Amino acid sequence: MTILTQARPRPLSLSDRLILWYDRFKTPLFYLILILWAIVCLAPLYFTLVFSLKPVANAYDPPLFWPIPFTLDNFRDVIGALPLFPRWLLNSLIVSLTVTILRVLFCAMGGYAFARMDFPLKGVLFNAMLVSMMIPGQVTLIPAFLVVGPGIIRGGLKIGDITLPTGFGLIDNLGGVILPGIVTAFGIFMMTQFYKSLPRELEEAAMMDGLGRWGIFFRIVLPLSQTQLLTLALLTFQGEWNAFMWPLVILRTPENFTLPLGLNWFRGEYYTLISKVLAGSLFNTLPILILFFLFQRYFVQSIAGTGLKEG
Amino acid sequence: MKALRMTMILTAMLALILAACAPATPQVVKETVEVEKSVVVTQEVVKEVPAQRAVVRLSGWAASPEETALLQSLLLDFTAENPDIVVKYEPITGDFWATLKTSIAAGTEPDIYYMDIFQFPAFVQDDVMLPLDDLMASTGTKKEEFIPSLIDAFSANGKVYGIPKDFNTLGLFYNKDLFTQAGLAEPTDDWTWDDLKAAAQKLSNPANNVYGLGVPADAGRFPIFVFQNGGSIMTPDFQDTLLDAPEAIEAGKFYTSFRAEKIGAIPADVGEGWQGTVFGKGQFAMVYEGGWLIPYLKQQFPNINYGVVTPPAGPKGEGNLIFTVAYVISKNSKNPEAAWRVIHYLTSEAAQKKVMESGFALPTRLSLQESEYLKTNPASAAIFRGALQGARPFMWGLVGSDVNEQMTKALERVYLENMPVEESFKQAAEVIRQKLAELK
Amino acid sequence: MSTSSTPLASALALRQKARRRREALTAYTFLLPYLFIFLVFTVFSIGYAFYLSFTRYNLLSPPQWWGLEGYRRVLCIESWFPRPENAPKPVCDDLFIRKALPNTFKYTAIVVPTQTLISLILAFAMDQKIRFRRLFRTIFYLPSVTSSVVISLIFVWLFSPLGVINQIFHLKINWLNDPRYAFYTIMMVNIFTTSGTLMLIFLAGLQDIPTALYEAAAIDGANKLQIFRYITIPMLRPVIFFVVTVGVIGCFQVFDQIYVMTAGGPLDSTTTIAYLIYKWAFRDTTVKMGQASALAFILALIIFVVTMLQRRVIEGSGTVGQ
Repeated sequence: MTILTQARPRPLSLSDRLILWYDRFKTPLFYLILILWAIVCLAPLYFTLVFSLKPVANAYDPPLFWPIPFTLDNFRDVIGALPLFPRWLLNSLIVSLTVTILRVLFCAMGGYAFARMDFPLKGVLFNAMLVSMMIPGQVTLIPAFLVVGPGIIRGGLKIGDITLPTGFGLIDNLGGVILPGIVTAFGIFMMTQFYKSLPRELEEAAMMDGLGRWGIFFRIVLPLSQTQLLTLALLTFQGEWNAFMWPLVILRTPENFTLPLGLNWFRGEYYTLISKVLAGSLFNTLPILILFFLFQRYFVQSIAGTGLKEG
Repeated sequence: MKALRMTMILTAMLALILAACAPATPQVVKETVEVEKSVVVTQEVVKEVPAQRAVVRLSGWAASPEETALLQSLLLDFTAENPDIVVKYEPITGDFWATLKTSIAAGTEPDIYYMDIFQFPAFVQDDVMLPLDDLMASTGTKKEEFIPSLIDAFSANGKVYGIPKDFNTLGLFYNKDLFTQAGLAEPTDDWTWDDLKAAAQKLSNPANNVYGLGVPADAGRFPIFVFQNGGSIMTPDFQDTLLDAPEAIEAGKFYTSFRAEKIGAIPADVGEGWQGTVFGKGQFAMVYEGGWLIPYLKQQFPNINYGVVTPPAGPKGEGNLIFTVAYVISKNSKNPEAAWRVIHYLTSEAAQKKVMESGFALPTRLSLQESEYLKTNPASAAIFRGALQGARPFMWGLVGSDVNEQMTKALERVYLENMPVEESFKQAAEVIRQKLAELK
Repeated sequence: MSTSSTPLASALALRQKARRRREALTAYTFLLPYLFIFLVFTVFSIGYAFYLSFTRYNLLSPPQWWGLEGYRRVLCIESWFPRPENAPKPVCDDLFIRKALPNTFKYTAIVVPTQTLISLILAFAMDQKIRFRRLFRTIFYLPSVTSSVVISLIFVWLFSPLGVINQIFHLKINWLNDPRYAFYTIMMVNIFTTSGTLMLIFLAGLQDIPTALYEAAAIDGANKLQIFRYITIPMLRPVIFFVVTVGVIGCFQVFDQIYVMTAGGPLDSTTTIAYLIYKWAFRDTTVKMGQASALAFILALIIFVVTMLQRRVIEGSGTVGQ
């Protein structure tokens, strides 16, 4: 070590050489990585599309890579056999949008409190939140259903002559799907971690100017964390859009179904016509993709806003 | 203060949203009817609803959009004839048993629900279904009107708990073209194991991925071989398993010999999950499947030329499995009489005839045995005949799912790990006994 | 309480106390929606499940108190030791110890580092000045927006013996039906579906790092490796902690893919703890909800311990590692 550092002119150290090498190759390297992964991501959806564009009877014939013979029957059948399709689409939109808006707001509020404020029981609450994520959903399904639906105590809590309901009574109601999702431990945890890494300077300046916590939150923190909020919004929307087990338990009549519940009709009891299932799944995927593409703008904006850190 | 107000506004917003999502008023009855095949019409029927209309909720799995449409049209006919009853149809498009059991645990189960024979023992033990005998008497419905093996399957302790809505048995589906190519005579109802094996040998061409018989590691197929060999899966009281008895082991050796000799295969060998698809693609010349394969082939493989016979007899005669589903009424139902009237209508001769003619399911009423439909549809007729030839319900008692799982694993160990049949079946039997002990 | 030396000091202390109380109040109003859901749903649900873990419950009739029997049957300690040749088999299920536990650990140990690394690399690459960023991002997000059930269905088909994968690579592997490969196939599917989401989270985290920090470091003569090592990684630490924690929890609870693709088979090679919970809680003809709940709490304990260890590694190494 000492000999090396004393020698002059100083030879290139390993890390220097690494950086040189990196500077030369980084652009093609990154493109290679991105393109490879893009292919990996596109392939399954491409094959799904090909499969769903072939007639049911030719589903298993070659070629695998091209929809020959071509047909739109599967898509037409999915729409045609399911007259309630528009209704389900609307239901899915109501649920996903409501949950997304409320969850992003509430989780940002909670995350901000955990990241920036001091209050009694903070540690306990935060850890309790983490622990609550560790219990698998299968065993909390029934108690959660009791709370949303018929109530913890069958027939309600009787005090004298008054019977108090112990549940929300939201069975077969979109509200029952929405309610438990309006804020989640996952979301709060995520926003907490984001806000922890957000620089404090702006907030401190605002506080000097006499702005209260709510003012800071709404006027400074929310606009500043646009990307993070969008990330959470997207994750939430996607999760709610695809949610299956909880709506299945809550919703009863076909008119109230969400899209995944309705589309699952094509998974038969004994057999499944896979072309139709895949066609249906594309109907389910498309809206989120459109939404995602629309919101791209904001992501790109905030990248530009940080002034592009070159490698 | 500002903070508080904000929260209050948010809470109010939430309340508004929840209120906005409340279900529509019950006065508008929206019904979906399939008028002709593939023509679906949505009618909005606004009726003056009498206050005393009894509401009956009916829940089942959603088999397919077409089958659902048929059920809904039957229900619409029913409401037309019975204006005092509203039937709310609540299909479950996902995990039916998890959802149903969750509803029962919360006390919100529907009045009428589908009951698979496989799940029946657990529901009987916990006494969650209403015995139907008195209700049956009220409309003069007799047990004898139904196929005995079906209605008996849904009876326990001398009471009837469910009215079978439809059933299926296994038939031997064979590819006529492959038989002609191999220069073989087509199978008949009188075939035996020896005929089966001889044909499989001639039909197989492993180099081209064509095999004589599909022999999946499937607990819904293999047991018929045990029955045909004079054995059984469980003792009659379901307190012990007979999977390690000589009859079962011998049947296991016969069943797995097809794959060992490359004259049979499991679907995964040729790249599929289900042998129905493999049969459709012409890679398995023969498969044991139920009537559900008929509409599947019609849709997915319309060009296949096939026939169906009852399963070939084994050394100890005929043997088959019955898969059947019934309508049952919840013990908590507030309108058992109305619920019964719905069931009575759905299992009536007229309704069953409609279902049969649509090709979805076989009727459970004996009187429909001689119907024109079965005469003109030999494939369905073969499945129907199966019920009268030594068929036993697909049901293994309270540990049914464990028995199924162990049977599947026993076959998988033979197929995937080359374990001797005897050892594998003994291992399976041991686990089943342990599961039985866990019940206590 | 404590007598202050000067009135000014006590006034200051009082004001500070009031300020702290006000901040606590504000914090709780910020947390109000969460606390409402937490108290109404989470606390009750977990409490109820905890109670059920001490009962025998088949969903069809009311739960019966069973004490620790459910836990005993899950752990099945008798099966840990070799037992004499003809001794009766213990009345318990050794599937947890024999298969589900090792499988789950294996799964987590492979999937979490892989998906974290892939998504970090992708996020880092996306954070460069590259063309078509929008397009790439949408593409990367494709697997995540498709529901895991549908993705699993597609993969069952892609990975079938005569499926696309084997055809492209000229392989003859029975991906999902061979106990040697099935579990790794599911791992691949999971890494594939989650990497896009995690990349988004990392990307959002990377954008949090103020450019000023990089500029300052560059002025101080730090090279790119040093910038990455001493600025990017430490600044990203909370996000890394989040991604790894969520990854660990998700992996320990992996269920959807297994449910759709293999149902725990072939020969239990893909049975994980979460799948076993589902199997006991809903799938068996005679449901064992109590036993499933007991296993759920054992699982939670395992996740808790792992998370705490990992928290120490991620949040602690910042000071130790330099």
